[in-house]
Amino acid sequence: MPCRTVFAGRSSNRWSIDNERLISTVHVVFLACFSTISIALLRADDGQADSEISDVDIEFFEKRIRPILVERCYECHSGNQRSGGLSLESREQIVQGGDSGPALAVDPGRESLLLQAVDYGIADLQMPPSGKLPDSDLVALREWVARGAPDPRLPPKNDNASVPLSGMSLQQGLEFWAFRPVTTPQVPEVQQWRWVQSPIDAFVLQRLEQQGLQPAPPADKRTLIRRLSMNLTGLPPTIEEVDAFVHDQSVDATEKLIDGLLASPHYGVRWGRHWLDVARYADSNGLDENLAFGNAWRYRDYVVNALNHDKPYNRFVQEQIAGDLIPGANQETRTATGFLSLGAKVLAEPDVEKLVMDTIDEQIDTVGKAFMGLSLGCARCHDHKFDPLTQRDYYALAAIFKGTRTFSKEKFGAIKYWYEHSFSQPEELPAIQQAEAQITAAKNAANQFKSQTMTSIRQQAERDAAKYLAASASLRPGMTLGQVAAVAEPMGLHPRILYHCRSHLEIHKHADFFRGWHEMLSQPQRILEHFESLFSEVQLALQEAGQLDPKSVTLGDPRLEQARRELQDPSGFLVVPPQAEYAMDSEQLQEYHRLLDFARKIESQAIDHPQAMGVTDQSTVDQLAIHVRGSHLNLGELVARDFPAVLRTSTVGPVFPEGQSGRAELADWLASSTHPLTARVIVNRVWGWHFGRPLVATTENFGVQGASASHPELLDWLARRFMASGWSMKWLHRLILTSSVYQMACENPNFELAQRLDPDNELLWRFRRLRLDAEQLRDSVLAVSGSIDNTLGGKTVPLRNRQFVFDHTSIDHTKYDSPRRALYLPVIRNNLYSLLEQFDFPDPTMPTGWRHSTTVAPQSLLLLNSDLLVDSAEQLASRLVSSHSDDSLRLNDLFQSLLARLPTEWESQHCLQFLGQFYQPSNDLSVQPEFKPSEENWPHQADLHQQRLVDAWTLLAQSLMATNDFLYVN
Amino acid sequence: MANKDFGLFGQATTCRMLRRRDMLQSTAAGFGHVALMAMLGSLTTGSRASAEQRTMPESGSPLAARMPHLPARAKRIIFLFMKGGPSHVDTFDPKPLLDRDHGKPPPFALPRVTFAAQGSLLRSPWKFRQHGQSGLPVSDLFPNVAQHVDDLCILRSLHGTNPAHGGALLKLHTGSDQFVRPSMGSWIVYGLGTENEKLPAFLTICPTLAHGGVNNWGAAFLPAHCQGTPIGNASQSSEKAQVRHIRNDRIPLETQRKQIELIGALNQRQLDSVRNSADQLALAGRLQSYELAFQMQSTMPEAQNLSDETDVTYRMYGLDDPITANFGRQCLMARRFVERGVRFVQVTHSDSEVQWDQHANLYQGHTKNAAEVDKPIAGLLTDLKDRGLLDDTLVLWGGEFGRTPTAEGSNGRDHNPHGFTMWLAGGGVKGGYVYGATDDYGYYAAVDKMHIHDLHATLLHLLGLDHQRLTFHYAGRDFRLTDVAGKVAHAIIA
Repeated sequence: MPCRTVFAGRSSNRWSIDNERLISTVHVVFLACFSTISIALLRADDGQADSEISDVDIEFFEKRIRPILVERCYECHSGNQRSGGLSLESREQIVQGGDSGPALAVDPGRESLLLQAVDYGIADLQMPPSGKLPDSDLVALREWVARGAPDPRLPPKNDNASVPLSGMSLQQGLEFWAFRPVTTPQVPEVQQWRWVQSPIDAFVLQRLEQQGLQPAPPADKRTLIRRLSMNLTGLPPTIEEVDAFVHDQSVDATEKLIDGLLASPHYGVRWGRHWLDVARYADSNGLDENLAFGNAWRYRDYVVNALNHDKPYNRFVQEQIAGDLIPGANQETRTATGFLSLGAKVLAEPDVEKLVMDTIDEQIDTVGKAFMGLSLGCARCHDHKFDPLTQRDYYALAAIFKGTRTFSKEKFGAIKYWYEHSFSQPEELPAIQQAEAQITAAKNAANQFKSQTMTSIRQQAERDAAKYLAASASLRPGMTLGQVAAVAEPMGLHPRILYHCRSHLEIHKHADFFRGWHEMLSQPQRILEHFESLFSEVQLALQEAGQLDPKSVTLGDPRLEQARRELQDPSGFLVVPPQAEYAMDSEQLQEYHRLLDFARKIESQAIDHPQAMGVTDQSTVDQLAIHVRGSHLNLGELVARDFPAVLRTSTVGPVFPEGQSGRAELADWLASSTHPLTARVIVNRVWGWHFGRPLVATTENFGVQGASASHPELLDWLARRFMASGWSMKWLHRLILTSSVYQMACENPNFELAQRLDPDNELLWRFRRLRLDAEQLRDSVLAVSGSIDNTLGGKTVPLRNRQFVFDHTSIDHTKYDSPRRALYLPVIRNNLYSLLEQFDFPDPTMPTGWRHSTTVAPQSLLLLNSDLLVDSAEQLASRLVSSHSDDSLRLNDLFQSLLARLPTEWESQHCLQFLGQFYQPSNDLSVQPEFKPSEENWPHQADLHQQRLVDAWTLLAQSLMATNDFLYVN
Repeated sequence: MANKDFGLFGQATTCRMLRRRDMLQSTAAGFGHVALMAMLGSLTTGSRASAEQRTMPESGSPLAARMPHLPARAKRIIFLFMKGGPSHVDTFDPKPLLDRDHGKPPPFALPRVTFAAQGSLLRSPWKFRQHGQSGLPVSDLFPNVAQHVDDLCILRSLHGTNPAHGGALLKLHTGSDQFVRPSMGSWIVYGLGTENEKLPAFLTICPTLAHGGVNNWGAAFLPAHCQGTPIGNASQSSEKAQVRHIRNDRIPLETQRKQIELIGALNQRQLDSVRNSADQLALAGRLQSYELAFQMQSTMPEAQNLSDETDVTYRMYGLDDPITANFGRQCLMARRFVERGVRFVQVTHSDSEVQWDQHANLYQGHTKNAAEVDKPIAGLLTDLKDRGLLDDTLVLWGGEFGRTPTAEGSNGRDHNPHGFTMWLAGGGVKGGYVYGATDDYGYYAAVDKMHIHDLHATLLHLLGLDHQRLTFHYAGRDFRLTDVAGKVAHAIIA
């Protein structure tokens, strides 16, 4: 073997083993030529290529190779088109190769990638992708490579110019504002110093003064209390709260109000939801297989508690990334790691390594967006196109997550399970095991019923086989099922089996066994007799055979054996439809559905293992290979665990302790006050949640393609002071809410100039009118109707952990009629509650720091037609009617409940006119109903009047809930 | 009776169909204007319009019909989606070698990852026969569709990447099996708007909620008006399928009209006091959205009401037979929607058993499934043609993948994303034409391979959209339906 000599100098065992394996896999044609190629390659590397090509080789290239390259390859691999980074325009470039390495083998022990690709041998590398080359081309290419790939073409001159630019350099990156340390801006001097209540006012006012703009006047107290209450608790203020605030003349009335709202547990419910948007929280997996995240609620409750207890934000960050590793780790901190596990996963992905890398990608992307406002996921396949983040940076982080376990070792069929921290006590186990046994038993009962019923239908069909054949004779092929049923039912036959039988006979017209049937077609009675006797012979023979050998299933007599085969063939002329809905009669089906429903309910209500979704460490991964173009099948250079170079906060690289994934160090790094992004990103979001517009509009992208800050000094000042406060969220809220900026009205008398200079209100010359978000809307409607249940925490998704939300049946059993706060409604990926979905609830698979606010017609349909609105309006109306005897008092109550203010005279007049269309607005009990109920249902005159009043007030209350005044916070 | 509508014009003309369509598509300011508010609302908050971002048409409404990039061959799409993965080697891609080598082990390498264990080669239980002028073979599973073979452009070289239902559905509908991305219907609405602003531009009839569910018709980061509107779902009979909240069972329409007038008056009063134009725009948008919602309560039921169709039409779609009635009704609704100018209509064939997913009992399962759709599909093609709609309506048929030529168990076939068949009809494609091929046994796409991205690029091209220019700027970069891939199959264009 000539190739052996090439490896003569390498004697280690490892090499020779590789060698053996390689040789066994490569083409024989190719094998014989290894040494030639390696010589040719050396020659090329010496730079002596072109001049030494023989005329024969040139002719071969021009006649056989260039046409293939030009016609089949150049479209994607020449000029500026360099798919996979590969150009085939010259030998030099082919040797240089693309992302997957050299296309012509430099290492003579490897077959050239070029040949592997055109051979279509590797499923993931097949060129040209549109179809395999004809064999003659393949032979030519192999010969060309065997000749040493002689190529007269010269590499293009301006090679570098055509390489697409990618990202920014590390040096440029270090100069970019978001990657520089947080600065220490001074609070600016302003002219109208009286307006400044909080340092942030000075930052805003300075910009307004520079433009010659005036801030809007302060909002009135009723507007302010509704704004603050909706903002901090997600609920409208009660009439009593409004009155108390309006009448509180003390100088610190607003501060007291803010403190009271921040101390309310509803604060955590409202602001916890903001963080859950960022954490892409959901109660089900969504994506391919929608299994319930039956324990996700523990993470949700962790977030609510953390906010209510004002857990320092840096600690909050650390716990979510490494709550299982940090000192003092406990149930609470382990639960926090659910953050890393909540992503949507392709649970039925059969390629486990791909699943692992896709999950890591989701984690890196989420950590990047949530904590750093960076799209790190963009660097999975290539260096980031815009930001100074390289593929090395990505895989250095990926190594940390590769050492982290997100999946459990258990699985269910093709479906992988995610890992969960267990908090169970031994004494709890028996009850859980009992519950599981009940689930299994209930499911088995349904399955057994189905299989037994199907078997009995089948057996009955076999007993009636001759009848089916006889009945078929009276049917024309192609008759509809309805026509077939008309024949089948009087004879006690199954319509669908008969329907199939007839078409089977038609399709197998020429089969031996059915030829007789076609001949006797006009004589059904003969068919009946013939097949009845034949099949009873078969039964008899089977019994006899069974006595001799109970396992025997075939018959000796070829005529009877053929009949037996046809009779018992599950895809023969007798076919029982596999769907229960089609096979069973209505009684059987009812029983089957009852059993299925029972099993589902047993499972939904069964207790869960006390566990929390989360991650834990597994084997340490010091180094991870760069995945070329993001593919786990194409591995490149190894990189060690590290943080992205542009974000390094120390000249000393991180030290990862042995035997750990490195998540604890990652968490410390993120939570450090020297990290340039962590504090900036969160104060920016908090600003946005208060004002409806963040300082940096792209909350999850602080990179080069992100927006720049509208008030950069303010952003840094806030970030710095936030860290100095001990990363206290409540401190930050107080600072913002007590400012003049926050307390401005929505209208500015000098709007004309302001609008011309700053139409988008970026400079904050007025308070932005904010549409209620989905949860505020839903909770407000329930609150004003008096039916809201303010219980905190606990499991609310009505499914057992890992139960299918809905499988292929598409039946959604999730109910949303709970009176609990909207935070506690199940977040079902792939099928969100319609109110949440219509009112811009964010996609619960992506971190979202700022929600859209759209206006589309389906929102109006929902407000007009959903039970939630009509029912709530009715409850509110009942209260209004029963607690006041006068319409104007009712109207005042209605407006105060919904809008925290009294109606204007114009509004009163219009609303009373509206009511007048449905009843006489008086206490006149002589009013006659529009319809005459039947004698026995004739209600008491007073009840009827009362009902008409409630109906009319329901219509009015619902209408008011649909007005902009209710749907927006002013 | 279809003719009832012509009565309004007082005469029947030779171009009656056109006139009927014009009438059905007459637009109102409503929908578009409202969605415009939505779009402005989201644009003001920092998402940067890229150079190729679809600009507003002159009417100012993002939903208004707009000029495509290129001359369009089709104006709208009906996607007949066969959930579960119909077998190509048993329907439109005959494989004589599979017959010959039945029972033998496959003489080729299996993919690195397969969904289930693979057995030996399994021949098709159905015969293929040649049909039409073109003589293209179709199996006995589709005797009615076979009559239309001269209108079909059979794509035999489709391939995807994901061998599981969920991933494959997402890939087919959105181009991505890993991330939540806009569905193809959403991209098309984003690119072209709609021809009838009184109806949603993208409808999906009885879609499956499993395997990607709403993401398969979601707009992801595209503006909200691009989102598909589901009518019912796969667990419901198409007779009961409705848009959510389209009706109020408790408040009669005339009473609701009074409510809308009150809401309008109160909103207008508030609007009069608002001075800045950003809020004016947003608040006025909602004011109008009530009018549109109120209208939709009559336009949707009208479009879904089949009672004015003739008996001939009923039979054509198989509404007279319980086997075909459910899918037939979906197809007939689809025709009524495209006739009214809806841009993208998906019709899903999915039952409680993942429909076409015959891991076992291929014969029974496929027989039943084909019987349910064959006649309705043929009826739809006939009807579209008769009405002159097939010229600019593109019909796409297929599942999320095909099935293996090897057996799973004794009588089933496994998922096969490596080579499978879809077909197109109408809308500027060659009829009686076959594009691409799988290998001799039908396992891998081999000739003129068409990846899902290529299919998407081709569909967009037929609609006059350049898939490389149909971009949306989001989270710092431009996104496309075809990601960084996609090649138009020019050969199939008539």
